[in-house]
Formats: sequence, structure tokens, C-alpha cells
Amino acid sequence: MIQLIASLLLRAAVVLTGAALATFALLWHAPGDPALAIAIARYQAVVPAEVVDQVRTEAGLDAHFWTAFQAWVGPLLVGDFGQSSVTGRNVWPELVTMISYTLPLALAGLIIGLLTSVPLAYVATRRPGGWLDRCAVALASIGAAIPAYWLGLLLILLFAVQLGWLPAMGTRTPAHIILPALTLGLGVAASLTRILRSGILEARGQPFLPAFRRRGVANRDIERDHVAPHAAIPVVTVFGLELAFLLEGVVMVEVIFARPGLGSFLVSAIEARDFPKVQAVVVLTAVLFVTVNLLIDLIYRALDPRIGERDA
Amino acid sequence: MRSVGTLVVVLVLLALIGPMLAPYDPTQINIPHRLNPPSLEWLLGTDALGRDILSRLLHGARWSLGLAFLISVIGLCIGTVAGLVAAQGGKLTDWLMMRVTDTFLAFPDLVAAVVIAGVLGAGTGSLIFALTVTGWMRYARVARGIGLSLQNRGYVVQAKLAGLSPLVIARWHYLPSLLPSLAVVWTGMFARAILGISALGFLGFGVQPPMPEWGTMLLDARIHMRSTPLQMIWPGLAVVICVLAINLTGDALRDALAEQKDQKGTA
Repeated sequence: MIQLIASLLLRAAVVLTGAALATFALLWHAPGDPALAIAIARYQAVVPAEVVDQVRTEAGLDAHFWTAFQAWVGPLLVGDFGQSSVTGRNVWPELVTMISYTLPLALAGLIIGLLTSVPLAYVATRRPGGWLDRCAVALASIGAAIPAYWLGLLLILLFAVQLGWLPAMGTRTPAHIILPALTLGLGVAASLTRILRSGILEARGQPFLPAFRRRGVANRDIERDHVAPHAAIPVVTVFGLELAFLLEGVVMVEVIFARPGLGSFLVSAIEARDFPKVQAVVVLTAVLFVTVNLLIDLIYRALDPRIGERDA
Repeated sequence: MRSVGTLVVVLVLLALIGPMLAPYDPTQINIPHRLNPPSLEWLLGTDALGRDILSRLLHGARWSLGLAFLISVIGLCIGTVAGLVAAQGGKLTDWLMMRVTDTFLAFPDLVAAVVIAGVLGAGTGSLIFALTVTGWMRYARVARGIGLSLQNRGYVVQAKLAGLSPLVIARWHYLPSLLPSLAVVWTGMFARAILGISALGFLGFGVQPPMPEWGTMLLDARIHMRSTPLQMIWPGLAVVICVLAINLTGDALRDALAEQKDQKGTA
């Protein structure tokens, strides 16, 4: 067990190092002169070459690739995300503010998704192939094909522009979160319904269940000891998938609804070519993603002993 | 299955001959006729620069579907090769290859694509690069998995003993068994590429104006949401119909494959 966890941790460490290296290499080789971009952003004017060179030295852009990489990763390991190349301010406090905007939105989206999909999947699987089931599957298929940005625009069009019931842009009042959360939540609901539906059907269709029943095992015990563990595996998978979906959705939704948050922070940092900020968001995403997947991997092995045997 | 197949054929035909059906030049600016509602002259109306929306949609099919096809096929090639190298190489090769795939899987696809396309600068080239780099891993995983399961089959062992090169074995012994599963993955990635292209277009990191691409059309239409809301409906609807058709094809393909497997198992 300890060996297993050690090998999984080593794997995560290798992956994160690779991800950091890939990110850094991408930004290092980005076209255009980052020093010039920073100088222009900083002084809001056309700047002479000497100033650009000075900025280049200050930002460490004239260093060798590996030196620069070390200069970035070293502080990163102790949680220092560096300074914005445009404003010179520390990235971390700003990042925390952005997370405080994004987290409620993502949670609200997830809750809306769960509240829609769990009852829908439950009702649908009561009679597989029935009209309710077909409707649920059709809705989920259509939902999975609707891009978040279009759904968001349609919701704005209907509820903010035509009906005037809800505010759309910004974060001034608590009501401002309804439309963006709905956009995220409906997307989550579409993918969750499909996964939950097939998970429940598969768990109920296990061939050993009738055998237990005939042997006189109580229905409650079967549900607890045999159906639940089988249904739990897809549920765990769902969390990995939904995390990816939420992170992607947040980028689009925040841009559409002009909300501050990690997604709009990332897009505006890319546009301003403020690479320390871009790196910070990317690394944060990767750490979150890899950690959650590591946990999922461990839970899988706890839930399903067969997985551990196959691939340690 | 058949009706879905027909739908896909119609979509492919539309992408191929759609531009010929377009009544107007999709980039022809006609300011006096800007933001016209749908009429007999302009079936879906005109956009903010007076360009015919129907013509732009039809030409856009070539961008959105054509690029998505290209991206998903490049990913298929890279991923299959990577997966087979992992499956056929030794333990170390396999471990390294899988960690490389994991590294690329360490970000949500779209977030990584936004960063890559945005940093490399807007344009079709960086769009293709961004979506390919973030899309090949799933093929690699599937190819490796099936490759490993075939490793100890009689005919593969015999081919190895006969001294056939790994390349020959990969082509004639692995690839035929891989193709059906890869086809299912491919439909999923094709749909994802369509969504990715329009998402990047919508953020302004994708295909650049004046080229008619569905995501960029949506971005243009958004500003005029109040005056001409219909303008925003068409490009989004086009994306949804295409993605839905491709996803349903993928589902049907997967079911057909599972059925075939069941029949083999019981026979």
C-alpha cells in the first residue's frame, strides 16, 4: 500500500514537473518581444530601445532558458507565484481574490447540475426505454452539444434582454450569479445525467444480484453491499470529469458575463501578455487537476480491488 | 443509426459544396444594408457590415468542419503512433510515454488550448496547433491499452518470433484491431474540435476576421444582441446540430461495436 502511494506520488510529481516545464517553454518561445510588450503596457507609450532593454534585464528575460526556469520554479515551490510583469505587483493576492469570485460560481453550477441530474437520472432509470428515459437521454445529448458560450448568450437574450427579469453583466448583486451559474449548471447536468444513468443501469444489471436475491439476502443488504459500490465507481469518475468541465466552463462563462474570476483573469492576462499571471493560473489549474485525479485514483483502488492488481 | 448516418453525410456534403450554394460573397461588405432582418433577398438577414449571414454560415461550415476534421485526424495519427510505441517498447518506454500523455492531460483541454492559441498569437496555424496538442492523448491511451492486450496473442507472438519488424507488426497485426475503437474516440474528438474551434473563435484567439467561422460570427453578433437577436441564433445552432450529429454517430458506432463484441464472446 505504501509502495503504491509512493509510486502514485512520484507519478504526480513527474507529471507536474513536466507540466510546469511545458508551460514555461511555451511562454518562453512565444512570438513577439515580451519585454517590449511589458514596457508599452507599463509606460502607456512608445518607448526607446534602452528602456526596453532595461525592462528585459529587470524581468530576467535576457537570461538563459534553464536559469530563467529555475528562477521561476524555485520560489514557486514555496508558494511564491512571482510578480505581474506589467504592474509589478505580487500575483498571489490577486489570484486569491479571483478564486473568491470563481469558487462560488463553480459550486453553484455544480449544485444546480446535481439537483437537476440526480432526480432526472433516477426517474429515467425507473423504466429504462420508457418515454421518460428517452426524453432524459435526448435532453442530455442535446445539452452536451450546446457550447457554454452559446447557452450563456441565449440565457442573457431571454432573461436579461427580452424579459428583463435578471441582471447579466458583472457581480454587483447576488442575483448576478443566477444566469452564469445556470449556464454552468445546465452543462454539468447534461453530462452528469448520462453518466449517472448508465452507472445506475449497470449496477442494477449485475448478474450476481438475482443470485443474491434468490438466496434470500435482504434487498437492503444487497443495495448497500453490492449495488452501491458498483454505482460509486462512476460517481467518482464523474468528479474528475466535472472538474475539467467546470474549469473550462468558468473561462467561457466569466468572459460572457463580464465577471471577475480565474477565467477572465487568464484571458485578460493572455491578451496583456502578462506571462507570470498566465503561468500562475496554469500551474494552479494543473496542481488542482493532478491532485484531484490522484485522489480519484486512490479512491478507485479502495473501491475496486481489481484495479490495484492490474496496474500498480 | 441510418438516419444519423444520413445526417452526417448531409453535413459533409454541406461543408464540401456549401460554399457553392452561398448566394453572396461571405466577405463582401455592404454597409447600406447592414443588420437587415431575414427577407427573401437575405434569407437569414445581414450582419453589422452588411454581409449575408446565410453565405457566411455556408462558408463557415468549411472552416469549422474542415478544420475540426483536420485537427482530429492529425491527433489520431500522432496518438496512435504514440500509443503503439508505448505498447511495443519496453517497460521504460511505456512508462515515459504514459507520463508524457499524463502531462498533457494535466490541464483541462480547453483551458490549455486557450493558453496555447492565445500565447502563440491569433491565427489558423496556432489554432490547429493548440487543439492538436491538447487532443492526441485520448487516442494514445486507447491504442496503448488495446496494444498491450494484443501483446500475448498467438499471432502477434508468432510474428515477433518470425522476426518481423515492429513497424510491420504494428501495421498488420495491431492496427486492424485498433481501428474500430479509434473510430469511436475519433468521433468524440471531432465533436470536441468543432466546439474548441468555435470557443477559441468566440474568445478572439481562433480563425481571424473577415473569415466566416461560426465562433467569430457569434462574437460579432453578440454586440448587436439587442437590435438583431436572431443573428446570434444561427451560428450557435449550426455548431449544436453538427456536434449532436457527430456525437450520435459516435454513440451508434460504440453500440454496434459492443454488440459485435458480445456476439463474438458468445459464439
